[in-house]
This record gives sequence, structure tokens and C-alpha cells, in this order.
Amino acid sequence: MKVRVLAAMSGGVDSSVAAALLAETHGREAVVGVTMKLLARAETGFGCCGSPADVDDAKRVCETIGIPHYVADMADHFEAKVIAPYVESYLAGTTPNPCVECNRSVKFGHLLALAEAWGCATVATGHYARVSDGRLLKARDERKDQTYFLYSLTAKELSKAAFPVGELTKDEVRARARALGLRTADKAESMETCFVPARDVRGFVAARPEAAGAAALSRGPIRATDGRVLGEHEGLASYTVGQRKGLGLTSLAPLYVVRLEPETNTLVVGAEGETLAESLVAGAVSWTRGVPAGSRRAEVRVRHRHPPAPATLTPRADGRVSVRFDAPQRAPAPGQAAVFYDGDEVLGGGTILRGGLS
Amino acid sequence: MTYLDHNATTPVRPEVVDAMLPWLREGFGNPSSVYALGQRARAAVEKARERTAALIGAADASEIVFTSGGSESDVLALAGAAWQAHDESQGRRRKIVTSRIEHDAIRLLGSQLRRRGFEVVEIGCGADGAVSAADMAAAIDDATAVVSLMHANNETGVLQPVAEAAAAARAKGALAHTDAVQSLGKMPVDVKALGVDLLALSGHKLNAPKGVGALYVRRGVRLAPLITGHQEKNRRGSTENVAGIVALGLACELAAAELSAAAAHALALRRRIEAGVLRIPGARLNGHPELRLPNTAHFSLAGLDGHHLVVALDLEGVCVSSGPACSSGASTPSHVLTAMGVDPKLATASIRVSVGWGTTDADADRFLAILPKAVERLRAAAVPA
Repeated sequence: MKVRVLAAMSGGVDSSVAAALLAETHGREAVVGVTMKLLARAETGFGCCGSPADVDDAKRVCETIGIPHYVADMADHFEAKVIAPYVESYLAGTTPNPCVECNRSVKFGHLLALAEAWGCATVATGHYARVSDGRLLKARDERKDQTYFLYSLTAKELSKAAFPVGELTKDEVRARARALGLRTADKAESMETCFVPARDVRGFVAARPEAAGAAALSRGPIRATDGRVLGEHEGLASYTVGQRKGLGLTSLAPLYVVRLEPETNTLVVGAEGETLAESLVAGAVSWTRGVPAGSRRAEVRVRHRHPPAPATLTPRADGRVSVRFDAPQRAPAPGQAAVFYDGDEVLGGGTILRGGLS
Repeated sequence: MTYLDHNATTPVRPEVVDAMLPWLREGFGNPSSVYALGQRARAAVEKARERTAALIGAADASEIVFTSGGSESDVLALAGAAWQAHDESQGRRRKIVTSRIEHDAIRLLGSQLRRRGFEVVEIGCGADGAVSAADMAAAIDDATAVVSLMHANNETGVLQPVAEAAAAARAKGALAHTDAVQSLGKMPVDVKALGVDLLALSGHKLNAPKGVGALYVRRGVRLAPLITGHQEKNRRGSTENVAGIVALGLACELAAAELSAAAAHALALRRRIEAGVLRIPGARLNGHPELRLPNTAHFSLAGLDGHHLVVALDLEGVCVSSGPACSSGASTPSHVLTAMGVDPKLATASIRVSVGWGTTDADADRFLAILPKAVERLRAAAVPA
């Protein structure tokens, strides 16, 4: 069987150019374009992987490049592995990171398995990241770097992953797309959670059957860190640690969400300094090249675009990792990822746990 | 390439292509024109009409109305008959009796007519994929305008009791239509034996090109035209697709001449394929084991997604389909298998294999050599339920 590369194509410019670059380096006959259909509903009305307009864009790009294109329906898998845990996380008073789960379970999970069944040795995506000698590295264009969402890839997956645009800047990618005549060259970037229409997280969560009667959607008190009641919140699922806008409070100094307390349905707010954390504990930890023997130095990101902060990592016997920052960091949010770097290299990461912050 | 999807479309036979070319070149006249150039085109159309009529045993060539294809023929038959009967009966006949396993051309039109005031009754089928003639008959009454039952199902190939349904329709003064798109050229189809008033057929399922089809309209049956114009005796406007019609006529003549040999060839291939596929653990044949088109076999292969299998086979140069052709790629169970009561998971784990003109033993063997490995790999990749 011929060795092929599967190009996962969302219908956006990055994955379009990724597929085109593969066709140049590997030959057109060795590249297979695939768009995952991730939502059960046919009409989405917004840009999500596998919406009819995006599938059409991906198909047309493949026609231009001269490679075959298929749609793979993964809606059931996406629902079980990404959407349901996302809702569950909000209902538990944390802030989920669905892109991490999608990369872990869908793109480099089920799609990778399917790729192997189709005789494709590699899954390539339009992520800004690099793989070198089995190491996951930040993108050359650090402002676009997406390794924060890819930390869960292990050595086995990294050996089968390719990120062809990781060596390019976004401007170079768009220029390449224009030069190749790809219709996605000037397509707007989607920044929101792909399956949540109109950024309405609360509305999306509230419409789910498992959210019926959930406390996280019920009104409750907003308190200062000293216990004073300052107002009323509309349900904890609407808030994220570190958030400032949309609290509906008037005060002399800006107020930030310090923590969510689902046990008492309380939203705790305070001054920016009160969101600072000196340490955190990450669970569901994954290491790209194995667990370190003991404590080690690293730089840690607690959200996308957060400048990596120097810290000491201590792997614990239960598999979790204690992270102690050299300098306190603003607003690590439970449910989000803490990703560990050594310079350009991603060492691994995990999910920030509630109760682990101090 | 190994093409095993003749129910989706068929290759155009070389002699059919050759027969078309003069009508795309020097013979470009409009059949309605007075001068000789137009007369020659008209003669070609009429010759094709006779050949088409002959394939289905029509009493007279004037009973053939050329259309753009099977779907248009279905829509002209069902909507044209429904509106005509509705109007002639001053609105008394406002019921349509059809089945749950029809092609989308009929199904979607049925929903549209339902929204416009018709009562549309869809009769289900048994686990073997056959609609019950008794259930059809029971639903047909004095208020029925038209009865529509496909001749053979496009997915499973299962033959349907059209003659019985047509007799029941006739007894109540309703018109009887059959969508015979999948049957023509694969088995004998005779409008008089079936007793139908209307029969739809399509060129590209019969080794003619896409864009041409025909509707048999029994003499004396009046239809409200969908495309108004004087052509086709006021039954279907638009200047005739002369080259396409010539192609359809020749394809019908070839099909008639070769019918028994083609059917025997297809059946031998189908049996070879069935025996091979059913050796795979967890494979099963859908639909009645015998009362099917000779060229069609529909399988479920538990534990995988049929669409993924189609991709795997395509990457090896083998063309089959999973369910009806659908560009969206959504893996949803087909309405036909659902009507048969097949579990939705198993229904999406299905492929249809259909042989035809040009298919060889080597094609069947190549498919059978590739399939087991593809199935095994996809099952290994499947998400545990």
C-alpha cells in the first residue's frame, strides 16, 4: 500500500495551505484531504469544522490542489469526547478547554486511527506548531503558536503528526494561499469555541438536557473576598477566573473574578492582585517525552498567549504535578490547561485543578 | 479502477457516444423547425421514442415523454397526476398512496404535496425490504388521486409488488405510477403486464448520459404539465435534448437486445460477490435473498462506518457506495434500512455493491481481495461503543 498523508482540513486558510504544502513535498497522489463533520445538525450558521460552507471550501481547495477530499462524520465522537465534557466542566464551576480535548480525542485520537486504517502514516493539521525529532516545538511565529492546545500529544502521536505551517508566519500563509489561488486565502479567522453559536456559552450550556435545573445556571451572590455581598450573578457557568467585564458591579477599583464556589453558588471577586496564584496543581497530566525523574525547572503557560512563566514542576506520586511559580501569576482558571515548556519545547501539561491554587 | 456502483450511474457505452455526436455537430437543428435540418432532428427523436417504447412494451411510441432524467419523470408523474386528478374531481381526490422506501424525488415531493393539502400515505416495508401489496391496497380508496410504488429499490434492489398496487389503484379509479429507474436494462419491465399508467426511467442508469430520461404516460392519461410549452405534445416544454434522446433510444435498444445475457452475467457476478463478502465475520446481506435486481447486493458489516469503508476502498481504486449518494458525508442510517427495521448502528455500517455493463469477474475478485483487510483495519480503528 502506498504511504499517504491525511490532511485534516477545517475549511480555513491554515489547513488549506498545510494541505497544499504537503502536496508539494510529498506529491499530490500521496495526500488525502479530510474534513471532519463534528456536529449532528446540518445547518450551523457559523463557522465550525464541517459546516456545509466550510466543507465546500475544503472541497474546492482540494480541487485546486488536485487531491481527493472526503468528509468523515465524527459527530457522535465529538459529542461524547468534547461537547459533553465541556458542558460538564461548566456545570461543575470550571472553565473547560475544548480545543485540547478535540486535539487529544478527535484529531489525534479517532482521526489518527482512521488515517491508519486508510493507509495514511501521518495526520497533518493547520496548527502553528513544529515537530522535530519527536519533540513538540513552538511555532516559528510565536504570536500564532498553538502548542498550548497540543500538549497532550505523546511520543506515539507526535511520530505521526505533521504541522506544515508551523515554519511560516500567518502573513506568509495567507500569501502562499493567494499565490496558489486558494479560495480560503482571505477567509476570516475563527477565534471562538467552534461549536458554540454567537459566543453564547451560557445559552449553549443552558440548552443542553443535562443542564436542566443545574445550580451553575442559577442566580447567586457575588461576594468580595472578605465576605461582603456586592451583587447577584446569573449562574456560575457565565464566569471565568480573571474575568473583569460583565460582572454588573460598580466600584472604585476594577473588580475581577477571583474564584467560583459551586458548593455555595457564590462568585468571589476582588482586586487584580487577589487573582494572583503562587502555585497550582495540574491533573490529567500528559508528558510528550515521559515523566521527569524529579522536580525540574520549566516555563508554564496557564492560558493561550500567556507569556510562559518560570516555575518549578514537581511530579507527584498520584500522577498530578505541583507547579510553583517564581513570581505569582494572574488568574489561572480551573479547567484550563497548564502547559510546561523548556524553551521552545513542550514538555507536557495538564488540567488546572480546583483547590490546587494558592 | 474497479467500478461497482452501477446503481449510482453507469458508463456511457462507446457506440452510444458515437451515436450522439452527429446531433451535437452538424445535426444541431431544432426538431420544431420547418426546414430539413429540423426535420432530421425530429426524425431522430421519434426513432428514439420508438426504441424507448419498445423496451418497456408500450403500445404506442406517443406514450413516451422525454424529460431531463428520472427525478423529473417522477415529479411530472406524481405532481402532474395528483394535480390533474385533484382538479378533474373538483378536489375530491386528494390522497396519494406511496411507500416509505421511495427515492427522494418521490419522498420529498410527497412532503411538499402534503404541505399543500394532499393526504400522503406512506406504506412501510417488511424486514425483507418489500412493501406489502395488501397494505398498499388497503390504503387506496375513492379519494386516492395517484399511487406511486418503485419497481425495485435503489439501495437493496428488492423488487416491489407494482402490478398488485396498480390493480388496486385501477379498482378505485386512481392512477398508478412506478419509478422503474433502477430496473430498466437489468430485468424485463413491461408496462402492460404491470398495468401501470405512468413509469419513470433514466438514461444514465442505462449506459446513456446524464440529463435525459423519459416518462411513460399511458394513452388517455392526462397530466398537469410542470414545464409548459408545446414540445412533447404539450406534456413537457423545452426544446428537445436531441443528442441525449438519441443516446437514450440506442441504449434502450441495446438493453432490450442484451437483456437476458446481461441479467445472467450480473447475477453470476452478484452471487460471486455475495459469497465472498458473506465469508467476512459479522457481514450480512440486507433485503430479500432472491427477489432482487440481479445486479444489486447490499451488505452490513457490523463494527464500522460504511462511509469510512467507501473511502478506504476508493483509496484502493474501488468504487462502491454507502447508502444513497450523499455529498455531505453525514453517516446517517438510510430511510430504506430504517423502514426495514435495521438497527441504526448496523444501518450506517452498510455498503451497496452494484454491477453492470463492463463489470468483469476480475473486478469482483479485486474487490473481494481488498475488502476483508479494509474491514479489519476499520474495525480496529472504530471507537469502542
